[in-house]
Amino acid sequence: MNFLATPTSRSAAPALLRLLAWLSPAFPTGGYAWSHGIEWAVDTTEIRDGATLQAWVADVLRHGSGHNDSILLRHAHRAADNQTALEAITELALAAQPSRERRAETVGQGNAFLAAAAAWQPTALRELADKVGDLPYPVAVGALAGAQHIAEDDAALGFLQSFAANLISAAVRLVPLGQSTGLAVLAALEPTILAVADATATKSLDDLGGACFRSDIAAMRHETQYTRLFRS
Amino acid sequence: MFAAASLSDHQRAIGSLHVAVKRRGVASVLADLRQDGCLKARFPRPVDWIEVVTLNSSGGVAGGDRLASTFDVRARARATFASQAAERFYRALPGDPRAHVRTNLTVADGAAAEWLPQEAILFDRAAVDRALTVDLAPDAWFLGVESIVFGRTAMGERVATARLADTIQLRRDGRLILHDAIRLSGEVAAVLEGVATGRGGAAIATILHVAPDAESRLDAFRAAVAEAPAEVGASAWDGMLIARLVARDGAALRATVIAGLAALRGGRALPRVWMC
Repeated sequence: MNFLATPTSRSAAPALLRLLAWLSPAFPTGGYAWSHGIEWAVDTTEIRDGATLQAWVADVLRHGSGHNDSILLRHAHRAADNQTALEAITELALAAQPSRERRAETVGQGNAFLAAAAAWQPTALRELADKVGDLPYPVAVGALAGAQHIAEDDAALGFLQSFAANLISAAVRLVPLGQSTGLAVLAALEPTILAVADATATKSLDDLGGACFRSDIAAMRHETQYTRLFRS
Repeated sequence: MFAAASLSDHQRAIGSLHVAVKRRGVASVLADLRQDGCLKARFPRPVDWIEVVTLNSSGGVAGGDRLASTFDVRARARATFASQAAERFYRALPGDPRAHVRTNLTVADGAAAEWLPQEAILFDRAAVDRALTVDLAPDAWFLGVESIVFGRTAMGERVATARLADTIQLRRDGRLILHDAIRLSGEVAAVLEGVATGRGGAAIATILHVAPDAESRLDAFRAAVAEAPAEVGASAWDGMLIARLVARDGAALRATVIAGLAALRGGRALPRVWMC
């Protein structure tokens, strides 16, 4: 399995256009407000420059939320026309959140994504939200991408890129780092993003999980951090 | 399935255990007990909280072993489940299936249950598929801990590689409220070096508490572990408290687990097996 070698998995141009809009930082999901525990890691100076930021985000992509969100997105994509399956994936995605703020982070963005996607008539996604209450972000993106014929691989890859860029943006503001440093980290993480997108293509929901114990602790400790600019 | 051909000629250990506990007057007493193979249970302190101590007479778990336990805490009964010793997960050969360990705990209306096994100690190249599922009635009380030590560093042990899947699922009134899963296969030591994974820590634990007042215990829990040797994060929402612990070794982990459990157990002594 290799992304560059499978052009048949690509989206048609109109579908790709939508994906670019939905995953753009300009799309109002409120991603800028969530740091996924990065704010704590900056406060403890564990993240203090490009190298320490890159190491942290690479772990989260490979062994934490990047890996898990990609699996959830892919399964939601495949279940796009199956409300029962989507409800089960939603229940699992919510139960897999390790802390109060991490739950708020995924649900805050998922619910905002649905509201912002109104212009694209997300009928089935709205039905799902009416049933389950809160939408985890990767499930929302995966289900809508599946319903609107965006290729699953493109959606997963785009979501991972957007997730990594959002964490980097949080650190750039918090440390603070120069824009060029943040962009260099994003460029250096390209192989990791591609590898995670690729590796999750064949994974089942039973493969959800990981080993990002300190990322979880960071999100938990963020709750009692003295000065907080971010909501997670 | 477990009799399937394997590269190893290790004799597979098989065990199954079923314990049911019920309320009688002010006491919690044994209602049912079935023991097969290498799994057994003992009941050292049958008082208002019955203590159930499990033991695996095979002396450790190897690839392909299959252990299954079901525990049933009936209405208004109160039970603490602990293991006689830390469970050792030995090296598996590359073709061996993973050790398969399943524990299901059912906690009925008004009942309380504690799942307090000692550490799982992994040896290099261990292969483990372990799952704990807990089914709680709406007003049941639950406290649990799962600890994993990646090699006893004081004895020079180190887990370079392993295949580990460790899953905890909590359901309350039939609804999945927690799916906590460790998936760590391959170069375990290298992965745990990562800053966002373990920063070199060789011991981890998760503490779980579900109760109508679980969220109100968060401040006391955080205070109890503030000076403990392991790194701890804790959070609470939806009638549930979760803590993650990362420690340099098993001793630091255990000291921190004990400090944290004390904040959630209302002054009751830990099972005696924890103190040896």
